Order: sequence, then structure tokens, then C-alpha cells
Amino acid sequence: MSSGSLPLAGVLVLVWALVYLVTQIIADPALGVGTTLMIGVGLTVLFTLGYPSALRGPRHIRPPTRQPAKDTATSQPAKTIAAAGQSMPLRSGLTAEAAQRTVKLLHPLLEGDSVAITDRDRVLAFIGPGADHHTVGEPPRTLASAKVLDGGKTLVVRTRAKLGCPHSDCPLQTAVGAPLAIGKRVVGALLVYRVDERPPPRSLVEGVARILSLHLELAELDRERTLAVDAKLDALRAQINPHFLFNTLNTIASRARTDPEEARQLLLRLSDFFRYAIRQEGHFAEFGQEYFFVRTYLALEQARYGDQLRVRYDVDPQVLTAQVPVLTIQPLVENAVKHGLANKIAGGTVTLKARVDPLTRTTSIRVTDDGVGMSADVLERISAGEGMANGGVGLRNISQRLETLFGERYRLDVRSNETDGTVVDLRIPLG
Amino acid sequence: MLVIVAGIAAVLRPRAASTLDFYLAGQRVGVATNACAICGDYFSAASFLGVAAAVYVSGLDGVWYATGFAAGFVPVLLFVAAPLRRFGEFSIPDFLGRRLESEKVRLAAVTVIQLIILSYLVPQAVGSGITWELLVGHGIAGLSPYATGVLFSTAAITALVALGGMRGTTWTQAVQFLLLLSAFIWLTIAVIGAGFNYPDAVAELTREPLGNPEHAGGQWRTATEPNRIEPGTPAYFGEPGARYGRLGQFALIITLIMGTAGLPHIMNRYFTSPTGTAARMTTVWVLGLAGLFYTLAVLLGTAARTIIADAADELPWLDALTVHGVLRVPEHAPLVLGRIYGGELGLGFIATGALVAVMSTIAGLLLASAASWGHDVYERHLNPRATQRQAVWAGRIAVAVVALLSAVIAVSLRPDSLGALLPSMVATMVTWAFALAGSALTPVFLLAIWWPRTTATGAIAGMSTGAAAAMAMFAAGTFADDSGLREMLLTPTVVAAPLAVVVTIVVSRHTSTPVNLESLWLRLHGTAADRHITRLARLTVAGVTPRRARATRHDGTRGRMGKGERHE
Amino acid sequence: MDASCRTLRRVAIGYFTVFLVVVLAVPGLTLALDWWSRGRLIGGMSPNFVMAAVGLYVFFFVIAIAAATLANAVEGRMLGGPGPGHDPDNGQRDQS
Repeated sequence: MSSGSLPLAGVLVLVWALVYLVTQIIADPALGVGTTLMIGVGLTVLFTLGYPSALRGPRHIRPPTRQPAKDTATSQPAKTIAAAGQSMPLRSGLTAEAAQRTVKLLHPLLEGDSVAITDRDRVLAFIGPGADHHTVGEPPRTLASAKVLDGGKTLVVRTRAKLGCPHSDCPLQTAVGAPLAIGKRVVGALLVYRVDERPPPRSLVEGVARILSLHLELAELDRERTLAVDAKLDALRAQINPHFLFNTLNTIASRARTDPEEARQLLLRLSDFFRYAIRQEGHFAEFGQEYFFVRTYLALEQARYGDQLRVRYDVDPQVLTAQVPVLTIQPLVENAVKHGLANKIAGGTVTLKARVDPLTRTTSIRVTDDGVGMSADVLERISAGEGMANGGVGLRNISQRLETLFGERYRLDVRSNETDGTVVDLRIPLG
Repeated sequence: MLVIVAGIAAVLRPRAASTLDFYLAGQRVGVATNACAICGDYFSAASFLGVAAAVYVSGLDGVWYATGFAAGFVPVLLFVAAPLRRFGEFSIPDFLGRRLESEKVRLAAVTVIQLIILSYLVPQAVGSGITWELLVGHGIAGLSPYATGVLFSTAAITALVALGGMRGTTWTQAVQFLLLLSAFIWLTIAVIGAGFNYPDAVAELTREPLGNPEHAGGQWRTATEPNRIEPGTPAYFGEPGARYGRLGQFALIITLIMGTAGLPHIMNRYFTSPTGTAARMTTVWVLGLAGLFYTLAVLLGTAARTIIADAADELPWLDALTVHGVLRVPEHAPLVLGRIYGGELGLGFIATGALVAVMSTIAGLLLASAASWGHDVYERHLNPRATQRQAVWAGRIAVAVVALLSAVIAVSLRPDSLGALLPSMVATMVTWAFALAGSALTPVFLLAIWWPRTTATGAIAGMSTGAAAAMAMFAAGTFADDSGLREMLLTPTVVAAPLAVVVTIVVSRHTSTPVNLESLWLRLHGTAADRHITRLARLTVAGVTPRRARATRHDGTRGRMGKGERHE
Repeated sequence: MDASCRTLRRVAIGYFTVFLVVVLAVPGLTLALDWWSRGRLIGGMSPNFVMAAVGLYVFFFVIAIAAATLANAVEGRMLGGPGPGHDPDNGQRDQS
């Protein structure tokens, strides 16, 4: 139960009591049941609605949503803008598929007979007369496109000769080409051809190319952001390994003499573990897979610690198919074992609890240990994101990754008392 | 009572990791548990009280209801279960939105789903009102017992859901179903132990025309049910015609068959299965369990008819509830049987079952509805940057509003006032929800899964056509005079669903499919993810099982992990 | 992949047709055959009642087992079953 709901429940009880008092006892004659209920329900709704905003304070203005294309293109014909703004195929990058959709979308709007999009090396999409020899996938044939790509400026071609199509039967006469650029880097060109002698309107083509460039720039930004997340993920993966590997190999080595069969089993598990840690692609995996990972890890640790490390799983099957960021749960469990229990002589229990809250569509994961816990100042340092000398970095890494993936839509709480153990609570949106 | 259920669930909740492993491996334990959970969600007041009541009132035509409720899972199994799970989205709007890559489809689905949930919630609230009426018998603060029951149960459950209880975890739902099933099994054993002979009872009841109490001119009297298949003759218990005419029989079954696949709170559970194959096997189990459950429900409905009539002379407390040995409110049938055989304790047991059925279904529906408002509308459209706290509040407010709406509608539909019009109205009202689901959602759903050419525009057109047709026919049916036509209009899926299919196909043909159709299709029908998870689970199970405890005794390095072991 | 999907669709539609025919036969026979609702089969129950109260549930269960087994077999045969020999080629789904 979150902190705000209990007071609200109290307030609502009070409201109803008050309504009852006023309408049934003070009022004479007492009001009818229907009226009383209406009043009560109205007040309840009012309080329930008003309560969270009272807690939150005045609502601040949200930053504008991302669709800058609309702002920069106000001088263009309305329908073009609408079309380009609403559907943004190039938003996902300059691929042949996106280019083809864009060309299809823009063809009727650009007042040309043929429309093409190229990247630096090949034609990505071509629609209209001439498509037979301006084949998609081949290098751009016309001199005009080469010029646009090299010069990075809009080019108007008024004669067939300057167009420079090597194919003798090419019906295309005039063209306007505009560069598609990310920042100053020209990555492609938008070309509009006509079969008569009047070239297509330059400003229109230029404007559309500018919008498309903006989309590409956004795509690039997305890509960079993804790369940053990838890099963090890789860093975390690299962190998991060293001492865990050493410790486990030591265990297995000592076991090899006494119980070769179990040593073999452990080695197999270890190889499963690393195969998963290395092969995992993307940022998300189903909880079931992460669970397998945690399970393998804990089985290995249990081989080291024996009965001193007890494990409890309290996982609702609903969670098993929820998407969670990869390699977030195992490090939490590892922290619990290494920092919570390893230094406790009597050993202890690690509990992994996971639930789906269907109301808020949240996956909540809680890792609890009854180990040594940590002092208030250590906890504070961890919460401040400084990390600890001996491995708290994992937690910081996780929270950075979560922030990149979810923005403000996640919570990672650490609660701990010296001698009482540590509770790590993670709540992330479901899907 | 809910505490009891929660307690049982908490005790039975498996803590050992192996259960989860088996679950993930798609083995029987996990599949059966999930099947029980689905049943726990599915069997609402309509199944627990309504089916027995429908059989009680109209005999064979009431049995037909139960058949439809169970039959609905066959198309789910054939068409929906495995692909839905493989696609891996959490709810129907999510699924349609992602599959057709369109936010508009998601919003259209949300609208339809909210309507379905509302029309499903109202009969549940009515059911709890009826139970309260019988169990407690008096109202609070000047309200009628019925209204008190409705408001009290709705308020209680809303508070529970909003404040964090009743989250419908798999174990709780499974335990709830087992409670319902055990209530029926106990009653069946008690009834048969008391000498009840099923075939003879049916024969006995069929000997005389079926008569039911009617409230006319301030007095209760027994009126013979007219036969709707052969007008002019009376209806008999063991023969069709007590409720549905020729066309109505077909219309009802089609409505129920098509409806289940579109019920949001049931479909949400399908995402719990670890693999598509497991989802399929889960449905097989559900069908088995549902078959057992409804067989018993039908038997009990029949038993109630004979036993209550026999007992009415001997038991004075039955006087207030019956007219010439027939119950006024048929939903009381299983409850009265419970009291006859188990005294107050038996009544309490059955009533617990009924309230559990009502509450878990209400909670499931409220959650599905609120999650849909909170997630699909609020988080995606109104406030995409909502924090966790804001999302929680959005969900709570949605729960409160939806619950309030359903309670108000339930109170305004007093069962006595409608009783003569629609006997055993709990079951009848649930068919409205099925009709809406089957007309608007299921056709689009099936096409989106199995026809790659389905487009977003097509789906929206199909859904709105289906919903509009269903509602229009329903409205027309309420005012229609001709009874045959009316039945037909009240169960509109037979017409509305094909209409929705045709509209979807025609519109889809003229619009373009999602860009990433191939990867979507692969995700929907590919089994690689299934194989992956099964393999992982097998590895885990295989890795754990041969481990022996004694092996750890020779452990040289176990114990305190000293600083020396850290190689950094 | 595509072939298996089409096969599964055919299987599903086939079974659905059987299912629908059997279910609709129950009220259908009511209209066509007097014996169906008036006859006595087990003790006092008419064939119609037996079918609706017990028979159809058994039928549903049987058809469910048959369809699920067949669908699983088709998938196993055409897409590869879960075994160590089949590495997941596109197993990890990536979505955000």
C-alpha cells in the first residue's frame, strides 16, 4: 500500500460519517436515502479526485511532445505538412523500407512525375516513370543526384542533358534534388523529376527534404541514445564476471576431488550461466529467463556456501512472462548474497519476491536478505549513487540503465538496517 | 471470508523453486494451476448461482446456458490461446494495438472493452445483492437489503482493489476456484446421499408442465411457462422451449461461443502461461474443469427443483421464499440446498462460495477495466510521463468510478421488477457482455490473429460495426413485441459478428497493412521463443535435481567469504 | 513458418466446423426429430437433456485434447520441437 492511500481512506470515512451526521441526524426530517447517497458519493468522488493533486501540488506544464517537424515547416503547403508530420516513416532511420513508404506518401504531393530517395550509395526508393531503369538498390544513375550528394545543396535541373541519365529512353526531363542531411552530414537525397520542361517547385521539394532531414536527425538521436544504453549494458555484463568466476572455479576445483560428478554438474551450470550472460541481446527479456539466470547463479553460490545460504522464491506465475530489463535481478541477488550474507557467520535467507500489479501495470520485484545490513551512512551513499568501494557500482549501473529505459517511470528503493538485513524494491512498468 | 481464502492461498502458495521450474517447463502442475486460476476468474456469480438458477427455472433451456459458457473455450483453444500468448502483450488493447501498429485501434478496443466490462460487472453486483438479501435479510441505513448488498459488496471490493488487495494472483484465483468446486461437490454428494436420483428426477419433473411464481396484482401465484417452440402448449422441464424459441436456441449458443474469446479479464490470464503450447494445454484443462463444474451445476439445479418442492411443506423457513414449493428468486436455489443439507453452516459455505465468485470476478473485472483506463488512456495519451505514483492514482480513481457506475446500474435494476421479464436475470445479463464481446471484439481478434491482411482501419471499422450492430439490435429487442424476433435481437452475435467480419475484410482490402508485418507474424505464430524457454527450464530442472545435500559437507571453501577471496 | 501457420489455420477451422456442427445439431435435432426431446434414454432423461447436461462437455474435452495434440504435433514437426538440438534462432524478443 503506498503512503498516500491510508490518509485518503481515513478522509473518506470521515466524509461519510459527516454526511450521515448532517443528513440523518441533524437534519429534521432526515433526508431520503437517495439524496444522502448522492451527496456522499459526490463528495467521495470529489475527494478522491482532488486528493492526489493536492499531494502533488500544482501541475506543471509538460514539455512539448516530440514532433518538431510541424514547427519548422509552417511555410509549406498545408497538406504536405500534414502528410509528412503525421506519418514519419523515416523517423526510424534511412532504410529502403522507410524510404519506399515515404516516397509513396509524398509522390502525390510533390507536383512531380517521379520521386526518388537515395542514400549515398544507392537508390532506396523510386516511384513514377523511369522506374524501369532507375532500379532500387543500384547506385544513383543521374549526374544530378551525384551533384546533390556531393554538394549538399538543392539543385534545379532544367534540361535533359544536365540531368545526365545514361539511359537513352529516359522520359525524365527536369528535376529538383535536395539533400537529406543529419546536421551538416549529407546522408542522402530527395529527387523529384518531371517528364515535361517545367521543373518541380524548388521551395516545396526543399521544404519537404528539410522535414525529412529532421526526421532522420531524430532517428539518429534515438540511435545514439540506444547506443548509450547498450554501452551501459555491456559495462554491466563485463562487471558481473571476474570475482564470481574466480570464486566458483575455486569451489569447483575443490569439489573435483571429493565429488567429481557434482563438479561436472557445476561446470555445466557455469557454462549455462555464461552462455546466457553473453548471448543475451536487446534490453528486455521475459522474467522467466531472468529467473533461470538467478536460479543458476544461486545454485552455484549454494554449492559454495552449503546450508548457510537459503533461498526462497515467492514468484507469482503471472510475472514469468513480464518483460524486464536484462541482468537487473541477478546483480540484486548477488549483492544480497555478497554484501548481506557472506559476512554473516550464521548464514541467512535470500528471498526473491515478484508480483505483477495488474492495476498499475507494474512489475514489482523485491530482493530481501536477513544478512548484516548496512549502516545509515552507507545506505545514504548508495542512494546518492556514489557506489561502494567493493561492488555497489552494480546498483548504480542498474539505476542508470533503468533511468535510460524508463525515465521517471520506475522506482528502485533500498532499505536497510544494521543487523536486520536489506530490502531492495524494484518497480518497473509492465510492457 | 475473504480472509479465509487469502489465508488458504497464502498457506498453499508454493515456495519451493521447483514448482516454478515445472511451471516454466510447461509441465502438468503449472498448467493445471493456471487452468484453475482461469476458472477462478471465469466462474462468476453467473456460473455459480446463475446456471443452477437457469436450470431451476427453465429446465433444459437453462442447461443450454451452461453448455454455452463451457463451449466458449473451444474457439479460444483452437484460435486464440497459443498465438495470443506468443505475441506476449498483457491485454487485448495492447495486443490489437501492437499487432496492427495503431494507437487508434488500441483506443477503439479500450472503448469496447470498457462496455463489455460494465455489462459484466452489473450482473455480478446484482448477484451479490441477491446473496445479501438471503443471507442477511435486512438493509442498513434505510436501504433495501438488495441495495445494501450491492453497495456494500461493491464498496468493499473497490476499497480492497484500490488499496492493494485482491490483485488476483494466480494462486489466490486457483484456490478460489477450488473452493467453488468443492462447494458444488459437497452439495452433490449431500444431495445424492439423500437419495436423489438424477434421471428419475428429470423424468418426474417432466411429467407436469413447468410452473414458476409470478408477481401479479400484489400477489404471488404460480403460472405455467408457455412453450416457445410450439406456441399454445406448456413447457416441460426436460424438454426445450421453456425459454427459447426455434431461432433463440441457436442465437444463444452462438453468442456464448463467440463471447468468451473477447472477455478481457480471461484473456489477460493467457499471458501467464510460460509458452504458447502451455497456453493451449491450459485451455484443455479449463475445458475439463468447466465441464465438471457445469455438469454439477446442472445436476444441482435439477435437484433443487425436486428437493425444494418436497421440503417446502416441512421446513417453515422456506415459506417466505417459495410459492407452492417453487422459489421466487431462482438464484436462491443452491443457497437453499445448502441450508437444507448443512443447516446454517451449509448456507454459510455456499454463500461464501457465491460471494467469493462474485468478488473475485468483480475484482478481476475492475482491475482489467482500471488498468485499461490507467494504462491505455492515461499513461499513453493523457500523461505519457506519468510517474509510478500518478499511475497508481489513475488506476484507483478508475476503479472507484467504474465500480460506482456498476453499483448504480445494479441498484436501479431490481431483480423483482425484471424477474417476470427475464427469469434468472444474472445469467441472462451476463449474456449481454458475451454478446458485445462476441460481436465487436472476437471477430476482429480472430482476423488479426489468422489473417495477415488485417489492417488497423479495417479493425476499427469492424469493431465499431460489431458494437453498434449489437447495441442497436439489443435496444430494438427490448422494445420488440414478437417474442421470436425479440430473442434473436437480444442475442445479436449471430448477425453482428458476421457483419463485423465482412466489414473488417472489406475495409482491410482497401487499406495497407502494418509495415513490419513479417516480424509481427513471426512473433505471433513462431515457436522459437517457446523452444527457448522450454529449453532453459529443462536445463534448470536437470541442473538442480541431481544435486545432493551431502555433497556440500566436504566443502572446503564454504562459509565466510573472506576478503582474501576477492580478486579485484 | 508460413506453411505451418496455414496448416494450423486449416486444422483449427476444421475442428471448429466439427465443433459447430455438433453443437448446433442439438437444437437442430430438437426441431427435426420428435424423439430427440421426447424419447427416454437413461432413466427419465431425453437424449437432448443427456447431450446438453453431460454429453457435450465430454465432447468438448475430447475435441480439445485432439485439437491441442494435433496442433502441438504440427508445430513440433514443422517448426522443430524443444530439444537441445534446436538452438533458438530468434528466441529473444527485443521490444521496449
